Amino acid sequence: MKRLLLIVLLMSTCIVNGMAQMKLPAVDKSPMDMSYYPNNYPLLRIQDKASEPLLARVIYSRPQKNGRGIFGDLIEYGKLWRLGANEATEIEFYQPVTIGGVKVKKGRYTLYAIPDTGKWTIIINKENDIWGSFKYDSKKDVLRVDVPVEKQPDNLDVFTMVFDKLSNGINLVIAWDDVKLNLPIAL
Amino acid sequence: MQTNPFYKFIYLFFLLAMPAVFISCNDAEKPTGQKKTEISIDTLHKKESVNPYITYDQSPMDMSYYPPDYPILKMNGSDTSSLVARVIYSRPQKKGRLIFGPPGKGLREYGKEWRLGANEATEIEFFKDVMVGKSNISRGRYIIYCIPYADKWTIVLNNNLFTWGLHLDTSRDVFKTDISTTIQNPPLEDFTMVFVPANNGTNLIMAWDDVRVSLPIKVKP
Repeated sequence: MKRLLLIVLLMSTCIVNGMAQMKLPAVDKSPMDMSYYPNNYPLLRIQDKASEPLLARVIYSRPQKNGRGIFGDLIEYGKLWRLGANEATEIEFYQPVTIGGVKVKKGRYTLYAIPDTGKWTIIINKENDIWGSFKYDSKKDVLRVDVPVEKQPDNLDVFTMVFDKLSNGINLVIAWDDVKLNLPIAL
Repeated sequence: MQTNPFYKFIYLFFLLAMPAVFISCNDAEKPTGQKKTEISIDTLHKKESVNPYITYDQSPMDMSYYPPDYPILKMNGSDTSSLVARVIYSRPQKKGRLIFGPPGKGLREYGKEWRLGANEATEIEFFKDVMVGKSNISRGRYIIYCIPYADKWTIVLNNNLFTWGLHLDTSRDVFKTDISTTIQNPPLEDFTMVFVPANNGTNLIMAWDDVRVSLPIKVKP
């Protein structure tokens, strides 16, 4: 933890120094991406094909496996993970939803996970626009919910989050390496 | 009968993405000086054969905050209240092409609107009321695009959010300003948007290839 903080401090010093020389930022190693529900909402919208209103958007960074062991190795079991890389992962709801029996108002939130072998604890927190999970504060949690781990046959190289439709809501599908989870989000 | 939802997703993605790809020319793939070529959806994403969802974009997304690196400042506890702005954009690469030029020569032609990135329209959010150029802009979320010329860019804020490419509805433009271009030396491979501190606020730097533009944003006291 201390070492991580030191690394980050060094990094921010580099960034500040870089600023002074007007060095512009390079592309991230774990590039950022976003997923909408309805899936590809911006594409649907420009074609007037969106049959449902905008519900959710997740913004996250996408680390790659690169031959490493991921869960239980790079990402330790029982430890908080930012569900991505770089900035804490952000989820925004454009309508009120219910997750794990808890009502969530529309707005922006951060999303974390505590991975384990059989289940993950998914956390929705109110502290936005923050880097990593180093300063995570459980007092700002909106909810915690456990979701079971499913094994998937093919190993995914790139960490992926997408939404999937259900009859009474949606799933946020979270997948990397040989692991997949569905976080149910009810309307 | 149950269909695998992932195949359904892929099918849906193809179905929806293809027409849009044709109408929103892809910054990453359009060769210089040629007519619009057919683009397969495959070219939009780096390939990963076993990923049933989506692999990452050819022009990856990124974001910039003002104050610069606000999430890191916040983590360090050195800044907790002064978030002003955030831009979310995709970063196409030069790949040896002339980027800004006259019609038929540049990838981005002079006089033609450009989404300032790739993929989804570029989004800018102000967390406080600000002055952009000489205009008051209320806090909130906008899309930002430009019309590049050799000596200046017209920068436009528009409130038609959550759109792909530049599906322009100019009736929803909320702000427009002209900014002179400066030379970016050495040329930049990756399109870059970043906030840098300036007098009473920040400049939003937009730079690609050998062109740089700087949009002044003042934070209201």
